[in-house]
Amino acid sequence: MSAGDIFDAEELGTCISCGFCLPSCPTYKLTGDEASSPRGRIALMRAIDHGEVDVFDVAAREQGSFCLGCRACEPVCPAGVPYGNLIEDLRNAQWKGRRRPLRIRPLLSFADRGRLIRLAGRLRRHARFSPPSASPATAPEGSDEILMLGCFERSLFPAVSRAAAATLPGIEVPQDQGCCGALHAHNGDVERGEELARRLADRPGRIVSTAGGCAAHIAAVAGRDRVVDYSEALLDRGSLPGPILIDGRPARIGLQDSCHLRNGMGVSAEPRKVISALGAYVEVPGAGDCCGAAGTYALLRRKDSRRVVAPKIAALAVLDLDFLVVVNPGCQRQMIGVLRRARLRARVVHLAELVALAAAEAEAP
Amino acid sequence: MSTLATDAAPSLGADLGRIVGAPNVETRPAALVPYRTDATFGFSGIPWAVVRPGDTEEVSRVLRFANDRGIPVVPRGAGTSLAAGAVPTHGGIVLALTRMNRIASINPIDLTAVVQPGVTTQDLARAVAEHRLYYPPDPGSQRVSTLGGNVATNAGGLHGLKYGNTAGYVLGVEAVLADGQVIRAGGQLLKDVAGFDLVRLLTGSEGALAVLTELTLALRPAPATRTTGLAYFADLKAASNAVRGVVAAGILPATLEFLDAKCIRAVEDYAQLGLDTDAGAMLLFGDDGSAAEVERTVAEIADLMREFGATSAQVATAAAESEALLSARRCALPALSRLGGATMLEDVGVPRSLLPELVRRIDEIADESGATVATFGHAGDGNAHPVGCFDPGDHEQRSRVAAAFDDIFAAAVELGGTITGEHGVGAAKLPYLEAQLGSAQMALLARIKQAFDPVGILNPGKLGS
Repeated sequence: MSAGDIFDAEELGTCISCGFCLPSCPTYKLTGDEASSPRGRIALMRAIDHGEVDVFDVAAREQGSFCLGCRACEPVCPAGVPYGNLIEDLRNAQWKGRRRPLRIRPLLSFADRGRLIRLAGRLRRHARFSPPSASPATAPEGSDEILMLGCFERSLFPAVSRAAAATLPGIEVPQDQGCCGALHAHNGDVERGEELARRLADRPGRIVSTAGGCAAHIAAVAGRDRVVDYSEALLDRGSLPGPILIDGRPARIGLQDSCHLRNGMGVSAEPRKVISALGAYVEVPGAGDCCGAAGTYALLRRKDSRRVVAPKIAALAVLDLDFLVVVNPGCQRQMIGVLRRARLRARVVHLAELVALAAAEAEAP
Repeated sequence: MSTLATDAAPSLGADLGRIVGAPNVETRPAALVPYRTDATFGFSGIPWAVVRPGDTEEVSRVLRFANDRGIPVVPRGAGTSLAAGAVPTHGGIVLALTRMNRIASINPIDLTAVVQPGVTTQDLARAVAEHRLYYPPDPGSQRVSTLGGNVATNAGGLHGLKYGNTAGYVLGVEAVLADGQVIRAGGQLLKDVAGFDLVRLLTGSEGALAVLTELTLALRPAPATRTTGLAYFADLKAASNAVRGVVAAGILPATLEFLDAKCIRAVEDYAQLGLDTDAGAMLLFGDDGSAAEVERTVAEIADLMREFGATSAQVATAAAESEALLSARRCALPALSRLGGATMLEDVGVPRSLLPELVRRIDEIADESGATVATFGHAGDGNAHPVGCFDPGDHEQRSRVAAAFDDIFAAAVELGGTITGEHGVGAAKLPYLEAQLGSAQMALLARIKQAFDPVGILNPGKLGS
């Protein structure tokens, strides 16, 4: 691949350099350095595209990996720059083959091959139990939905997969689904990422996802209309269980947005709406800002990841939540660790788990 | 010109690192790329280093270092200049002031705020709002632009008619001269005539006289409510006449903004706000103050609009609706940028009464040149932003726009106006400045520059150069 072929010329040409993205960018907020801002990275990409900077230049690689890929710059961009695609293209060029960071190689092959599929098969059996009789609602008539289970969710948080299947009655959970490819696309293998997403998209029906990262990736390949988040699917079904009571009062529940769900899919009101039925919703200041998990970022850049999440700890400490809801497995892993280290009592749960809990409480005598 | 970039870069980085700390200096070419440009199309320069000082003392030492060696220094906030004011056209050190972003104090009795230059306009506006105070200047880039940059360019905004632009709010500055000496001019004083008015001189000096390291800004009590309305006209001339009508009736509303037909269509395509895309021009008007007062004024303006030929005029009934209307104006530039890919934005101004004539000439020039030029701006201030839209790869289109702008500048000057109302001169408008100021004043600017910066290190190639 020559330097001029790394990026889509039209996408790269969209930026008008206005700088409106700067204050939304977590890494610019950390450093005040424009090199670690979306506009700065686009300027760098243009220099690479023109052959002025080598794509493997140390400083260029540093920026390619320092970016969280949270896409918070996209909703605030007046010119509509598809920044998420551009940073994927940059990593696709920078992290090819031997240059791929060592720590994510096993993850990619894990998601790619037999071991996970076997593991997933085992877990999917857990996901295949029948919905409780007092399930919140029934499937919308004539809908043809399949539940896409994130690979990391299946291995790290199988209870989420089970809860999602149980609370979306009538949904089909294909036994032979593989990885959606988001992990590949975000980590320097755009081609494989697209191929895997297409495999999923070739199935008929609407794809329901419990992971913001997966949803945005599949939507980018298959079209936004083919994919909905768990919260959207749940709201389509009408009635919600709740509220969850703790010592006779509604539970205090906050949300940590998933960046790709919020910025890539435009879904932020829906999970809040669901939570408002489940208890007393509390808006966490900065809920829409990246938690620093950012896919493999927390593994690759642990220190930076913790710097990004630091402001949240202070915000959460004063709220005294019963539950902190997440809508993506990466955020779940990150926030569990963060709250444990900060010794905060709030339980970190995926939205589906909380809905299942509310449904179970409703069922209890 | 920039041989230092390769020859002296290694030792330059180390030397500067000793002043501000190694993590706050960058000399690697790839990491400097973002500092080549600002928000202006078609201007770039190659910096030798970017330095992010943490306090006034560090700024002073960097300047002394650069002054001793004759190295250019280009102060930079968020890099949102639309006149290539932050582009290092002569290389040198980019002095990024973003780390100096502390609000030192807000004083609700003196109605002042003391801030470092890297605080963003919006962060200050939000912080003072918590004290029920108001910092009126709100340039289009307020979310990102820094107050240091706002003061250095005397930035305007959407409320200039009633509240004026940034200069009206600068009470005092701490500034570092080119040789590293620190001066303080003005302060928390409403009256102060000791010495030449250096506060006013440094406001709008575009980083060519000194580096601003602290600002004392005036605040207002926050108005209780704000309301916005909207009127459509057959053409811009009719709209401009309505503006004259409003002012002649003794009303100075907080907001009086216009969009021409091309802008209305571009904004509607972009933001789907339900605007009337058949209209020839649109006026946004609004006022702030006590609820009763605002309601009366805005209704009165709507009546005047109709009297002066508005095809329709309506007043927003909810705050959200007001905000949506203002966003129509704020998104005009990005909406236009989607028309051709690249935009050249200008900033001409004339006495308010001559705005209809300026707008007529802009249209005439655009038609004759065959360039796509859309115009929006601050009707109340006589400040128009003609925007040339073109495909960046199409040199013929680009030169047509450039030629049209040459004529537009000439027209503004001929009408007793200015080539820039609020964006500044920068590198982009320096070639046109003499036509407005004349040779005697140009020479005086150069002598003032010489007095502040004898070696000529501060933002060379801009004002006073």
